[in-house]
Parts: sequence; C-alpha cells; structure tokens
Amino acid sequence: MSDNKKKILEMLAQNKISADDAYRLLSAIDGGEGRRESTNKAETAVKGKAKYLRVTVLPNPEKERSGDYDRVNIRVPMSLIRAGIKLTSLIPSEARDKVDLALHEKGFDFDMRHMKPEEIEELIGALSDLEVDVISSKGESIKVFVE
Amino acid sequence: MKRPPMLMHMRIHGERRGFGLWLPLFLLLPLALVVFIILSPLILVAAILLWPSGWGKRALFSLRAAIEIFWSMRGLSVDVHSGRQRVSISVV
Repeated sequence: MSDNKKKILEMLAQNKISADDAYRLLSAIDGGEGRRESTNKAETAVKGKAKYLRVTVLPNPEKERSGDYDRVNIRVPMSLIRAGIKLTSLIPSEARDKVDLALHEKGFDFDMRHMKPEEIEELIGALSDLEVDVISSKGESIKVFVE
Repeated sequence: MKRPPMLMHMRIHGERRGFGLWLPLFLLLPLALVVFIILSPLILVAAILLWPSGWGKRALFSLRAAIEIFWSMRGLSVDVHSGRQRVSISVV
C-alpha cells in the first residue's frame, strides 16, 4: 500500500474527511498508478523494439582537424546478433566447455549447451538497456548503444 | 516477415584513389536456390552417412544457420575511417 493511501485512510479514521472524499481520493491515486504502469509498459515495448546495436568511435576534434584520426561507425541488426547467438550450438564441445569454464571463473553461471530460445530473447532484450560511453586517453569518444 | 538483403554497397578509398561497388544480392538468391536444388541429393546422402558421428546434424544446422545469417544481414553497416583511408560496407 502506498503512503498516500495510508494517509487517506488515517484521515478517514480521524474523521478529517468523509467516506466519499476518501473514495474519490483513492480512485484518483489508483488512476494515476494505472497510468504510470501503462506508461512503463509502453516504454518497455519501445525498448523491446530495439533494432540495431551501434558501435561508434569518434575522434578527438583537434586530431580530426589535423587529418590523423580514426573514425568507426558500425550498425549491427539485432536479428543478426540473434542468428549469431544460435551459432553457439555449432561450437565444438571442447571449446564450449572451455568457454563455460572461463565464464564460471568470472562468476557467470552460464551453460551454452542448454541455452533456450527464450533465454536468447531475454539476452537480446537486456541489450536494450546497454549503453557504454567511454572517452579514451587520446580524447576519442567510444560509444556502444542500442537503437 | 523478414525480407532478405537486396544489395551490398562497398566503398574503399585509399590515399589517392577509391572505388565503390554495388553487389546485387537479390540475383544471388535464385542462383543459390538452383545450386541448392542440384546439390540437395548429395547433401542428403552426406548428412545420412555422417549422422551417426554427429556431424550430419551439425552440417544441416550449419546450412540453416548460414541462410538465417544471410537473411538477417539487411541493415548491417560498417564504416571505418583511418586517416585518409576509408572502408564502408552497407547491406540494404
């Protein structure tokens, strides 16, 4: 129960407001929470529609003027990443065991052999929140994000 | 339904010269289909022979995965500048 609802009920118990007023206030709070919930669902749906993974490396403006710079702009469709993840089942068992062991050592309890399609979708969904923004010592801006 | 990629555009610029190339991937699809139909009996026999060792299943899965990867390439774009050199690949 939210704090606002508690306050309304306390005010009703102390006869500061009538039952009708309390009902109206509680309905208003429920309506607001419902709207907030639907907004969150809509945001999640928008995030779920992430289509591309972007990797960009933008040069230091000073170096860009001198002409000695590197610039990278990569856009990978999510469907390609999904297809790539499915390829993990083609990895030979010896290599797969080594990957699983290395991940386990790093604290990831992850078994590539038993990866289900729902888990792949969950992984892709989690990428929607990914955002890496790094500025290197050379002044280059490195960004990894999903759009 | 996902649409397959139609064209691949490659641009390579060196210090002095550069060139661009449009690859019509849509022309490859009928060609690949014909090759697949011709080779399918051989693929099937090879898969049956290799099935007990586990490689048959893997070979069939690889074929499916290759098609799926090709189908998912629409929208891929790689653009790399290094000094005055530039390599750009985009799939549309």
